[in-house]
Amino acid sequence: MNYLAAAIAMAPEHLLLAGIVVLLILEIASERSRAALPLAVVFVSAAALAAALLGFNGWTGAPFPGQFELAPPAAFAKAILLALAVPVLLASKEDFGEGVFYPLMLSSLYGVCLLASAGSFLTLFLGIELMSIPVYVLVLLGMRRPESAEAALKYLVLSGTASAALLMGASLLYGATGSLGLSSFALALSSPDLLARTAVVLVVSAFFLKAAIVPFHGWAPDAYEAASVPTTAYMAVLVKAGVLVAAARLFGSAPVGELLVGLLLVLPLVSIVWGNLTAMRQPGLRRMIAYSSIAHAGYLFFALAGDGPGRFQAVVFYLAAYGVMNVLAFAALPANANDVERDRLENLKGLYHTHPFAALLIGMAMLSLAGIPPFPGFIAKFLIFKNVIAAGYTTWAVLGLVGSYIGIYFYLRVIQFMFMSPAAAATGHAPSRGLAMGASLLCLAGSIAIALLPAVFLARF
Amino acid sequence: MADSTILSLVLYLPVAGFLAIAALPAGRDALVRALTLGAMLVQFALSLVLYAHFDPAVPGLQASTQVAWIPAWGVTYYIGLDGYNILLVLLTTFLGPLVTAGAFSAITKDVKLFYAMVFLIQFAMLGTFVAQDLFLFYLFWETMLIPMFLLIGIWGGERRIYATIKFFLYTAFGSILMLAAVIYLVYSLQQTTGVISFAFADLYKVRLPLEAQKWLLAAFALSFAIKVPMVPFHTWLPDAHVEAPTAGSVILAGVLLKMGTYGFLKLGFPLFPDATLLATPILSTLAVVSIVYGACLALVQNDIKKIIAYSSISHLGYVMLGLVSLDLLGIQGAIVQMVSHGLVAAGLFLMVGMIYERCHTRELAAYGGLAKVLPVYSVFFMILTLASVGLPTTSGFTGEFLALLGAFNAGWRQWQGGSIYALIVAGVAVTGVVLGALYMLRFAQHFLFGAERVPHGPVADLNLREVSILAALAAAVFWLGLFPDSAMKRTELAAREYQQLVSAPRTPAPTRLTGTPPLEAAR
Repeated sequence: MNYLAAAIAMAPEHLLLAGIVVLLILEIASERSRAALPLAVVFVSAAALAAALLGFNGWTGAPFPGQFELAPPAAFAKAILLALAVPVLLASKEDFGEGVFYPLMLSSLYGVCLLASAGSFLTLFLGIELMSIPVYVLVLLGMRRPESAEAALKYLVLSGTASAALLMGASLLYGATGSLGLSSFALALSSPDLLARTAVVLVVSAFFLKAAIVPFHGWAPDAYEAASVPTTAYMAVLVKAGVLVAAARLFGSAPVGELLVGLLLVLPLVSIVWGNLTAMRQPGLRRMIAYSSIAHAGYLFFALAGDGPGRFQAVVFYLAAYGVMNVLAFAALPANANDVERDRLENLKGLYHTHPFAALLIGMAMLSLAGIPPFPGFIAKFLIFKNVIAAGYTTWAVLGLVGSYIGIYFYLRVIQFMFMSPAAAATGHAPSRGLAMGASLLCLAGSIAIALLPAVFLARF
Repeated sequence: MADSTILSLVLYLPVAGFLAIAALPAGRDALVRALTLGAMLVQFALSLVLYAHFDPAVPGLQASTQVAWIPAWGVTYYIGLDGYNILLVLLTTFLGPLVTAGAFSAITKDVKLFYAMVFLIQFAMLGTFVAQDLFLFYLFWETMLIPMFLLIGIWGGERRIYATIKFFLYTAFGSILMLAAVIYLVYSLQQTTGVISFAFADLYKVRLPLEAQKWLLAAFALSFAIKVPMVPFHTWLPDAHVEAPTAGSVILAGVLLKMGTYGFLKLGFPLFPDATLLATPILSTLAVVSIVYGACLALVQNDIKKIIAYSSISHLGYVMLGLVSLDLLGIQGAIVQMVSHGLVAAGLFLMVGMIYERCHTRELAAYGGLAKVLPVYSVFFMILTLASVGLPTTSGFTGEFLALLGAFNAGWRQWQGGSIYALIVAGVAVTGVVLGALYMLRFAQHFLFGAERVPHGPVADLNLREVSILAALAAAVFWLGLFPDSAMKRTELAAREYQQLVSAPRTPAPTRLTGTPPLEAAR
């Protein structure tokens, strides 16, 4: 084994691991350390930087052949996802003063990175578990309401079911093809063999469950609502990103047949429509974002119906645009001592008059999530549907676009609350703290970069 | 300075203004107003320079800028002036200062945000007109919705939330289907010619089978018809107009509605000529229905804003009629009618705003005999009324007359070809002129003459600011009515190009068979 190659190719992962170790030692050494947050930010930023450098240098290779592969697109995907984690960390100060949050989040990020490089079902499974398990704990740590425990358990059980389905699918695939490599899945896509097809269905449904696609979405609204705000942001953005990046790797550039496209797209389409419809009726921001993220998972699976090489690009670009805006919305949300009050949409009424900058940022985020130009969400959605139409599935694309239209209403409702309603009485919203403001500004800069110079990002994949 | 630089300045001045007033501390309302008015006046002056420099003898784009933006998708940042948009750009920048000054006394709440939104919508509207790349066009087209949504929703009347959400959802629905059509269109271009491009000039070359053209035209037409609006897609308009603040109504009637007809002129019809020819009877019928139905509705309204709103539907019907006539004069008339309606409707909405600020009601029955109480107001009101009716020497005459002339020419040609339908359509459209005179004169009669009724009186006549706004509008109305030549000259080449693009069939050429003929042919 080439140790040097392993050291270089896995530099982002190594940096995260170092961060985890340092943070754990710190946790043991001192009771309430103020250094945990800055350290976590430093390590995650360094990992993002390392990934970006690997990408710019064009580092390509497989230090663990068949298990762990790295090429510039994957490196850039890691860089983008790790960079998205930085504002999440920055915005977490109020909610997680204690250190235990940070090593957990870094472990989960390690899983996300593994997924972007997975070459076989073994690494894929490892990555998914490593990504999910810390999140169960993070949801529970948000224990500000009695429902948190229930939600965390629900998430644990359903996520465990998904892992079981994934394992079952992988073993059937091994039985059918004799290989655990991800390429065996691509082969199985076009295989007439019943065993292989069963395996495909199992694996795809595992991914649907992890990404909260209707009807496997039941856990998401509860978990999103129960978790603290930064954990919700983390789940909505990075966990979803990890799952979708893994799915994009899994499908690779294998052709997806007509029949399979129908199977692959019908549930995401239902997700888009159902998620957008249900989001309209939610009283809380986090539940609304949960349903919105169910719809967004739908768009992301549409990207897999596009032509082969464009899939990974479309998925990562969408994740970047969607992620940056989601984190922006959460980071700009005014702090409040009462978690339930902070979450209530009614309390956003008249926000423009009390927190004008926060209202503008949240408004931008909502419009971007709704896919309204000129915000990055539109360009990302455009890319996905362009690929779907180019692959010849015009009807599906039109249905998906009409489904996305349904979503506009509830995003507009948030803007209506913030700008057009008189201020709500005594919400207890505090002015934003410096760090959360910094996180918002980072996201704002990121989204402006994506909107103005999409070509720079697109050229990396 | 090169013309392309001036055009970029005109386009980005609102962005600079937006950033400048965003950076100002809260509470500096007077400064915000002065800054906005200043920027808008500079913008208008610059666009006058562009208008003067515009060479009517040169076909195609002038003052253009093209920069690669997303090369992988064939998207370029491509803006420029041509005969299609030069008048509309001038109209937009002309109305900018008037809207700004008109809102000085009406808007006292969130002044900073208000003018920021006015800047933003000015930017988006100008961008839509000057964009020469479909992706860029779509970006600006959709961006326009956001400031309008806020303008109606924050500063509107009682049912503003309902009206603004209805406005947004109606127009966004059309756009979402248009987006699918845009993607399909560009993809087809790539498939058939190997060129990947969103530039209008390239897209005009795409050859599509009739079936595809029909679907794509339907998607584009729905989006544009909602924006125009054409009956039966018009129901958002009265709500939006009634609830919007004066500035919102002025922008909506003055410029925003022209987006729909401009879209048909620049994109909808020239991109899909064969489907357009097929759909002409439907489109001209809808246009005439809009003219007559809008006029009939305007006749029975008691809310003065609604009268003007429905009259807009009626007046834009003439534009559509002129566009589908494919007659040179009809097309030019349609373009002039767009500008004329922009001036007249904007003026009428401003005047309604002025009286509303004084009397706090929009009910027609509440007014009477204003001519005696407000003589200056009444003179301007009469000028705009007559322009709306289409009296010769006003801009309304030039536009409506030419559009109808075009419709009759087209009808005559078709009658000689054996079909009388187009002639009937043109004939019915003429009744719209009579109806138009009827509802506007009814309006003026109740408003200005008869027994004196002034709610919340006594009221003062127009002040200097208001007189200046209306004088500028009246001057423009007469300029276009008395000397239409300068404007017509600049549109002529574009009208010819449009005529040629829409008349030439563009279904794929039948593939020539080479080699052995098929078995059936051999038998």
